[in-house]
Amino acid sequence: MSHLLDRLNFLKSTRQDTFADGHGQTTIESRDWEEVYRNRWRHDKIVRSTHGVNCTGSCSWKIYVKSGIVTWETQQTDYPRTRPDMPNHEPRGCARGASYSWYLYSANRVKTPLVRGRLMRLWREMRKTMTPVAAWKAIQADPAKRDSYTKTRGKGGFVRADWEEVTEIIAAANAYTTKTYGPDRVFGFSPIPAMSMVSYAAGSRYLSLMGGTCMSFYDWYCDLPPASPQTWGEQTDVPESADWYNSSFMILWGSNVPQTRTPDAHFYTEARYRGAKSAVVSPDYSEAAKFGDIWLNPQAGTDAALALAFGHVILREYHLDRQVPYFEDYTRKYSDFPLLVRLDEKDGRYVPGRMLRAADFTDGLGEANNPDWKTVGIDSKTGDIVAPNGSIGFRWGENGYWNLEERAGEQAIELSSTLILDEDHDDVVGVDFPYFGGAATEHFTRCDHPDVLTRSIPVRRLKLKDGDALVTTVFDLFCANYSLDRGLGGDNVASSYDADVPFTPAWAEKITGVKADRIIAVAREFATNAEKTNGKSMVILGAGLNHWYHMDMAYRGIINMLVMCGCVGQSGGGWSHYVGQEKLRPQTGWTALAFALDWARPPRHMNSTSAWYAHTDQWRYETVTAGEIVSPTAPAGNWAERSLIDYNIQAERMGWLPSAPQLKTNPLDVGRAAKAAGKTAAEFVAEGLKSGTLEMSCEDPDAPENWPRNLFVWRSNLLGSSGKGHEYFLRHLLGTDHGMLGKDLGEEGRIKPVEAKWHDTAPEGKLDLLVTLDFRMSTTCVYSDIVLPTASWYEKDDLNTSDMHPFIHPLQAAVDPAYESKSDWEIFKAIAKKFSEVAPEVLGVEDDVVSLPMQHDSPGELAQPFVADWKAGECELIPGQTAPNYIAVERDYPNLYKRFTALGPLMEKVGNGGKGIAWDTKVEVHHLQDLNGQVSDEGVTQGMARIDTAIDACEVILMLAPETNGDVAVKAWNALEKITGREHAHLAAAKQDEKIRFRDIAAQPRKIISSPTWSGIESEEVSYNAGYTNVHELIPWRTLSGRQQLYQDHEWMRAFGEGFVTWRPPVDLKTIAPAMVQTGGDKHVVLNFITPHQKWGIHSTYSDNLLMLTLNRGGPVVWMSEVDAQKAGLADNDWVEVFNSNGVLTARVVVSQRIKEGTLFMYHAQEKIVNTPGSQITGKRGGIHNSVTRTVLKPTHMIGGYAQLSYGFNYYGTVGSNRDEFVIVRKMDKVDWLDTPASTKEAAE
Amino acid sequence: MIRTFNALSALLCYPQIDLQAAIPEIRTVLAGEAVLTPAQIAAVQPLLERMETSDIYDLQEAYVLLFDRSRTLSLNLFEHIHGESRDRGGAMVDLLETYRAGGFDLVGPELPDHLPVLLEFLSTQALTDARGLLADAGPILAVLAERLARRETPYAAVLAALADLGQAASDTEVAAALLAESDDDPEDLAALDAVWEEAQVTFAPDPNAGCPISRDILAKIDAPLRPASA
Repeated sequence: MSHLLDRLNFLKSTRQDTFADGHGQTTIESRDWEEVYRNRWRHDKIVRSTHGVNCTGSCSWKIYVKSGIVTWETQQTDYPRTRPDMPNHEPRGCARGASYSWYLYSANRVKTPLVRGRLMRLWREMRKTMTPVAAWKAIQADPAKRDSYTKTRGKGGFVRADWEEVTEIIAAANAYTTKTYGPDRVFGFSPIPAMSMVSYAAGSRYLSLMGGTCMSFYDWYCDLPPASPQTWGEQTDVPESADWYNSSFMILWGSNVPQTRTPDAHFYTEARYRGAKSAVVSPDYSEAAKFGDIWLNPQAGTDAALALAFGHVILREYHLDRQVPYFEDYTRKYSDFPLLVRLDEKDGRYVPGRMLRAADFTDGLGEANNPDWKTVGIDSKTGDIVAPNGSIGFRWGENGYWNLEERAGEQAIELSSTLILDEDHDDVVGVDFPYFGGAATEHFTRCDHPDVLTRSIPVRRLKLKDGDALVTTVFDLFCANYSLDRGLGGDNVASSYDADVPFTPAWAEKITGVKADRIIAVAREFATNAEKTNGKSMVILGAGLNHWYHMDMAYRGIINMLVMCGCVGQSGGGWSHYVGQEKLRPQTGWTALAFALDWARPPRHMNSTSAWYAHTDQWRYETVTAGEIVSPTAPAGNWAERSLIDYNIQAERMGWLPSAPQLKTNPLDVGRAAKAAGKTAAEFVAEGLKSGTLEMSCEDPDAPENWPRNLFVWRSNLLGSSGKGHEYFLRHLLGTDHGMLGKDLGEEGRIKPVEAKWHDTAPEGKLDLLVTLDFRMSTTCVYSDIVLPTASWYEKDDLNTSDMHPFIHPLQAAVDPAYESKSDWEIFKAIAKKFSEVAPEVLGVEDDVVSLPMQHDSPGELAQPFVADWKAGECELIPGQTAPNYIAVERDYPNLYKRFTALGPLMEKVGNGGKGIAWDTKVEVHHLQDLNGQVSDEGVTQGMARIDTAIDACEVILMLAPETNGDVAVKAWNALEKITGREHAHLAAAKQDEKIRFRDIAAQPRKIISSPTWSGIESEEVSYNAGYTNVHELIPWRTLSGRQQLYQDHEWMRAFGEGFVTWRPPVDLKTIAPAMVQTGGDKHVVLNFITPHQKWGIHSTYSDNLLMLTLNRGGPVVWMSEVDAQKAGLADNDWVEVFNSNGVLTARVVVSQRIKEGTLFMYHAQEKIVNTPGSQITGKRGGIHNSVTRTVLKPTHMIGGYAQLSYGFNYYGTVGSNRDEFVIVRKMDKVDWLDTPASTKEAAE
Repeated sequence: MIRTFNALSALLCYPQIDLQAAIPEIRTVLAGEAVLTPAQIAAVQPLLERMETSDIYDLQEAYVLLFDRSRTLSLNLFEHIHGESRDRGGAMVDLLETYRAGGFDLVGPELPDHLPVLLEFLSTQALTDARGLLADAGPILAVLAERLARRETPYAAVLAALADLGQAASDTEVAAALLAESDDDPEDLAALDAVWEEAQVTFAPDPNAGCPISRDILAKIDAPLRPASA
């Protein structure tokens, strides 16, 4: 390509054609060389899109297209600027996203719909003589037929199908399941709507119109930090990455920003150039550690101990020995520090009890409305006991006082945080606090302290409705909990940091391995910076902490530091939990579309962790007993006698957690029977449950009536990435080959659950049909019965937002979907259409009965001031109060497709809302009719706004959401103003006329509009930061006290010892001993198994991309320290088997000085479909990172009907933790690729 | 119109009932046109027989496993030379323009580099031109033939015939390089291990080994510019 011969090397042409008065000159040299560049970079259009992957990046990209083929992509650099003196967000992007266009045409792409060959054969055979639903029924009715395809899941055998036929199979299966078992047996799992909102909504809208079950993800992924709803009543709200720049002291804690938050990492370096100091807490020498001014490397899983020691120092030096005015003022106004707690007497000893309420006083403190839910403090000016504004009792049933003004009603007050002064307290008594450090396994340091620590507390004696009581403030208990000596005498407190008393720096050094002087230094710098800057100290924390069973302790320990130093709600400060892309900015516009709230309410939501725990039978193998985690200071009760699934069942029964399926009886039959009996659904079900004619499904998850029957998985790799207890999924849900090594409770003769019905033989293969939509052949696809080829991110129109930046921007169809793929929206639309054709065979207009747990942000969150179980006779069964509510919903199955494609009547009749406020949307509905057009076809939807294309669906979201429609934002703020009694609309007033449309964001990303859905604001003055409106607009947090709730007073919280933060060592999952026999005496090592996020993929996406494989080691790897490698006789790059009783995985080992001794890393989530050989133990192909995990539920996450501890979809509930797991690692002496022809039908081919 | 190419194109498409029915016609075309040698035609017979006699679902399952699911057997030719590299989009555009220059537009869901698409295009070209185009793809065809032969599938004969038509053989340098380089086939353990091997990193320039440039520079520095005067 040198064009040497085309060029004049010695001569110059004399021909001098000139033009433009000699300024231009024509040459006759060959310019062919330019073609190289022209061809390489040619394109005929540039389209804006992004990568809809579970990543907080949310980066806008330019896609170059030539002749309908994507040729390359580059980063967009046109984000709206931040503001003067601040760096901009761009450029955003990373190597993973930049490799995407190449992925588009990968050979791993799913090209056509695929159906398991044996199922296809059966289907066509049946369809020759039968109607669709009858055909599906015939296949399901014959166990041999059903087994013929379910037992070959994961073993190849796919054939192609056309869309017509494949949608008919799915529709028939759904219709049959709805008719036979109930619509709630049709499950759908899809995560992270923020990454492609309409694609998520497509499936959830279809399911919601049918009455199917939409499964949660944020809690299942263990990305939900339950400490956030516990403290703030908020799922998760965090600063945008630009606000890091405003911080002057940052702790990066279990979060690897340069590696996993690549497009935002520049703000971190820029902040450091600006002069910010940074401490990095990470057991391994991570990429982030290199950025730290100081690196602290605690043993993995001991972060809570470190946080407690930091807190100990901060309390001592900034709240007790010296009182920083800003910290005192902040905690008095914005935390529960000054509120009163009752001490409960138990066997002559005292433990912290419930927070005192207005209702505890004979006169109710004059509060007639919700006195049970109004917390109480002492006004330092008058010494009066008052019920300050803002507690949750003010939120419902009255207007004007739900605010954080320093008032009780109209009376100005100033609460006092402590009773420490002699004139303030009547007595000093010993109060018991639990200490769990003695429960540590041999892998963690155990300290010899008693399991109950009694500490002195100043108390006041009050006369209450039920007699005399001792009370004290949260702050006084809080200081005692951190074991600070305040001169009150007694034991278990420290006046020196060197004392060997729990939570001192010296104690923490023993537990964590971090030197005490470094702990003290970092605590001081953190607090001093906050003191000087009024709260600009920040903690960026992540999955490294949140994926532990006792994650709440580490999180609350950190939140306490931030609250003590007044950092939450201040720009440049606060809690930055970046795990999972939770931030769906136009949320309330989206929920209407996604859950078909325009047609019927409520939708069926399910918390996935509890559902998978039950339906994949992980509960049958439970190794952790409640007795191991209950507190020695627990209130009276049979806490230790119930197993973890029993707790979950009780929570479902009391209306705390949702259920799916809901009742053993088909809800359509229940609805019909209720109607026939002339009763409301709630009355009918309540009677049935009491008399026993109706049973809740949760009590018998293994009964065939209670199995999930159909499962849709879309935008997700459930089996290859997020399925904790992978092998349990394979065995029980799918009924195929698995690598489990452990035995269940029955086989082992251990104690079985008391509430969950035990079947001696566990079912295998609960699902009738598994349908996966994906653009690449993922592990989940490999195990599916039907695989539908979906459009990739450059082939569909959709919306995308993130918590890291305030912009909304689109995915756009730069090219048509490749091969025969279709967008998720078009796929579910096609299924809906087919369903409406097929369903009338068995279904018409039906009365469904939907069960609904007590919802957060609704009056239901005030349902249960005390725990009472109707089944135990402790109270009456009252739906919606002591049990789930049961609500009749009409389903119009023949018109499901029409409903899918039109905006239904409820938006006009009932309006819209979210997070406890509601507003009218009549105007927006009419605007949508004008914008999208009206349905012209005759029928139930004629005249309604059309939702035909994905862009129509985008417009619905954008029109209805306050974040993208200024008028709606003002309406939403006005609605909140009524409740708070304060003016807030100024936050959106300047943007009232702004209406963001799809074509606007196609032109440029747009910054959203401030809305009461979120606790930060979009402004020209400050960057987005969570809690901003709480602190600056005095809008209460959505908690019991309305303040940041550092004390959790629910009975179950106290029972499990988590009233206050404390140190809880990782739980013993007991998976090593039963698997030890498999080592056969070989050299091995037992290590803690953790799964951080990788550099060469976003979860499993990109992990099978050759470019990324090349940058990594080309297949599954685990990382370990040199010391551990030596113990196990391993050298770098050896093949190893990693196993415990849950299962086995195979990988290469990377031996690195980076890793701390005792830990094994396996990056989440490397695909089983790439270079995974067989295991010597099982003879089957090695598993994935989740093969050695099993999920374990925690009772405190099940609490409901109690202010901030109330259920919300992805908001509160059980979480799928997985880092307490230990594994055995040993060298493989034989690498078998399982490639002999006889067994070629294996998952990985 | 060279119907042999149509026939081979059809054989490499997803097997359907109509393909099974068309096998006798394919036989006639192959024999009648004699574009393939008798030996090549004989080699294709087992595939034709299997198509005729096997259960359609078995044929389809086998096809999906081979061509839809195995990356190393993809019938999208550029998978094997460009993989997921940036050049792939541009290469496909080039091929598309070749089709357009020949008077055809691509319809349907397949990408331009899908082998049956290319074969269909070749059927419209003169045999010499067709051979020329096949020759361009020769090394890839040879590699595919080789890999299919290793799997003992009768499809190998079709690819072998095409490779021969393009006068490529699997022992040419390009093909050999391709076979060694891009083979991530889980069946080939040695090749896979080779891919995994990492070169040792040398941190300091070593004049005795290491980087040749630094070695040369160092050697020059060592040598005196002018011999010292005696």
